[in-house]
Amino acid sequence: MVKFLSQEWAEQAKKKVLTELDKAKDLKNMNATLLNVIQNIPPDNKTIYYYIKFTEGNLDELITGTDESLKQKQADFIVTGDYTTFIQINNGQMSSAMALLKNRVKMTGNKMKALTITKPIDTYNNCVKGVPTEY
Amino acid sequence: MKLLEVLETTRREPHCGLCKIDFLGTNVCSAGKKHGFVAYWPEGRMELARAFAEKEVEPTEALRDIVNSCNMCGICDRQCYFVTQRRPTQAQQALQEYLNTLPPQALKPTPEDDIVKGLRAIVGDEYATNDPVIIASYQRSIIKQKSKGKYYIVMPKTTQEIVAIVNLANTHKIPYLPRGNGTFFGVALQTLLAEPATIEQGIIIDMWRMKDLEVDPESITATIGPGVTSFELQKAAHVHKLRANVAEAESCVIANAQNLGIVTTWSNTYGWGTDNFIDAEYIDSTGTIQHLSDKDIPNPYAAEQGLLSLSLIPSVIVTKLTLKLHQILPDEEAIFIPFNNLPDALDFAHELARRNIGVSLAVLSRKYLTEFISPTHEIAEDFNYIAEKYLNLNYIVDVICDSHSKKIVEDLAPVSFGKEMIKSLILGSSKLSSMKDSSLLKMIGEEEDPLKTVFAGPMRKHFEKGLASSPKELVKDMDKDLQDFFEKLYSKPEMTDPIWLHNYRILPCRMERKHMWMYRGGYMPGDKKTILKVVDALEQPAKQYGIEGAFGFLSYLERGKLCHLEYDYYYDHTDPDARHRVNKAIVESWRQQFAIKGVTPLEFICSKGLHRKEHIIYPLLPGLSKEELEHFEELIETLFGGEDTW
Repeated sequence: MVKFLSQEWAEQAKKKVLTELDKAKDLKNMNATLLNVIQNIPPDNKTIYYYIKFTEGNLDELITGTDESLKQKQADFIVTGDYTTFIQINNGQMSSAMALLKNRVKMTGNKMKALTITKPIDTYNNCVKGVPTEY
Repeated sequence: MKLLEVLETTRREPHCGLCKIDFLGTNVCSAGKKHGFVAYWPEGRMELARAFAEKEVEPTEALRDIVNSCNMCGICDRQCYFVTQRRPTQAQQALQEYLNTLPPQALKPTPEDDIVKGLRAIVGDEYATNDPVIIASYQRSIIKQKSKGKYYIVMPKTTQEIVAIVNLANTHKIPYLPRGNGTFFGVALQTLLAEPATIEQGIIIDMWRMKDLEVDPESITATIGPGVTSFELQKAAHVHKLRANVAEAESCVIANAQNLGIVTTWSNTYGWGTDNFIDAEYIDSTGTIQHLSDKDIPNPYAAEQGLLSLSLIPSVIVTKLTLKLHQILPDEEAIFIPFNNLPDALDFAHELARRNIGVSLAVLSRKYLTEFISPTHEIAEDFNYIAEKYLNLNYIVDVICDSHSKKIVEDLAPVSFGKEMIKSLILGSSKLSSMKDSSLLKMIGEEEDPLKTVFAGPMRKHFEKGLASSPKELVKDMDKDLQDFFEKLYSKPEMTDPIWLHNYRILPCRMERKHMWMYRGGYMPGDKKTILKVVDALEQPAKQYGIEGAFGFLSYLERGKLCHLEYDYYYDHTDPDARHRVNKAIVESWRQQFAIKGVTPLEFICSKGLHRKEHIIYPLLPGLSKEELEHFEELIETLFGGEDTW
């Protein structure tokens, strides 16, 4: 078991995606960068940044951390929400698209482009949820 | 009366919420008024009778209190029978009998936890609960049926109390959701929209106690709290000879405004969304009170359009709304222009919209006309059959205007009728039903233009004479013990006055008498070509999936430049297969609507009702390309899973 959003979790998640998902079939050769801003993490309500970068369906980067410099990463999409919501997304209780619909997360970025990556991002999340995680 | 004996009735409870307002002059349920929670109102008793019959909830001490709070006065039967022909006292009797079968030790108290203690500290012990029985009464009108989530119900009285509730929810990291009268949820929760429309656990904030209502006749405005219903606001406005632009009688004005911007037949004159709102007080997700008029807030009207703009849960809780009222003209009259086809009705109504004729202006379907004005569903079905088969009456352009405009409409209309004919149709609907396939109707049906024959020609007198009826005649097929009440009720002038009925909108819930319905349609350019394409885009999926679909009504905005169209799918929501098919039809209708330029399906307006229509409907969106539609399919699958799971 690794702690959600920890360095170990990020490493295992990246490894799992790179070994289990097909760049074309599963990740639709997507080119996208996404910064998740995860707020109100207990016990002291800190914020963790969770950044992913895909090039032609390849997961180039998966970085998590509290370092403010991550906030400066240029991302096509920035998704902001509470830790409890990201737990639900990560453990498969709620898709990120549903979280958006339920107003649990806010997203900035080109919505039409977001539409094109909805499915591959969902596939990515489904893969990552397979990492044995504690919250 | 046993729970299972009334299950067929209770399962069909549509949760319209009309039992919470005094729309017939009977007063309302005293237990509901005293306690507030849905469980104590007739709609809640119906839901509880169903939930106990289907073993979805275990009894608690609250059950005894709920059952004993009813004095069987029968007000609910009068109200509910008027709308849906149901008798909530049967559900109460079944609950009473069920309670009598339980040993006293079966009714256990519900232990408090920290959250309910916190809520009670905010609103007082009697207005916050975690009791499973009270929570079960909110099923299907904000909580999904059979939901396993942990819920709390709280009924605040003030804005400050809601701030404290939001802070409490944030501290405990649980979601919350405000509830007006549950009318939108009652419809949406039967479909695949259930998941995005509600919360899977958390605090339900029932706004029923927040009934502040102040009309300022000088500025011709009203300021209201979130518990005020359309009927209550309209009644208060009418005291000053003013009118509010409001939705159906039972809907809470603020919830409806925030959610859908308020869709009415008066929109060509009164507008939509912020056209009617002056200011709103609301609480954001951090528990901060803000106002639309605050200078430092981000642009409150900025909104996104298109597929990913769907958001069924509002981001803020509106706690106060100041809205415009409108002066009622002293010489307002109702005039109806019947048509046998939609294109002709649209041409006529659009011409009036362009010329700004009609304070209220809409195209109504035969289905709405017959269902709304008939006292029972059986009569409505006969009336519908007669209107289609013999009268060629399929659409009506429905106008309320001043006496000058009325003359213009009469000059332009091929044939028209007014309030006297509507009165005859209402009071004579039972008689008309009995004339089904009569020689008189057959004779009319053989005429070249039956509409002209009936409403303008020499047979008009015979038709009116044939219909000549009294309230006594009208009520003869109703339940015997209710006939006296309904005879007196239908003798009241307002019950046959089309202007009063347009103002107070007490009839639309009659759509739910037989089946549940699902609202389809949305906003689009006001040209006939687009409208007909959209009607086709809504009709085709209904046919494809075996759902009854019918045009509802259309009203214009901005002198006919834009319009709002309602088309309804009717289905049996107690039948899983029918629910499956309606979900498929909904998705297919989205797909088809999005392919048409300028069309915004209704769901994509949700939560944007306090915005400016200029930010929501303009610019006209291009229809989605084939590739975008494929991504739309993927989005649907991501949101709702494969279609077999809906």
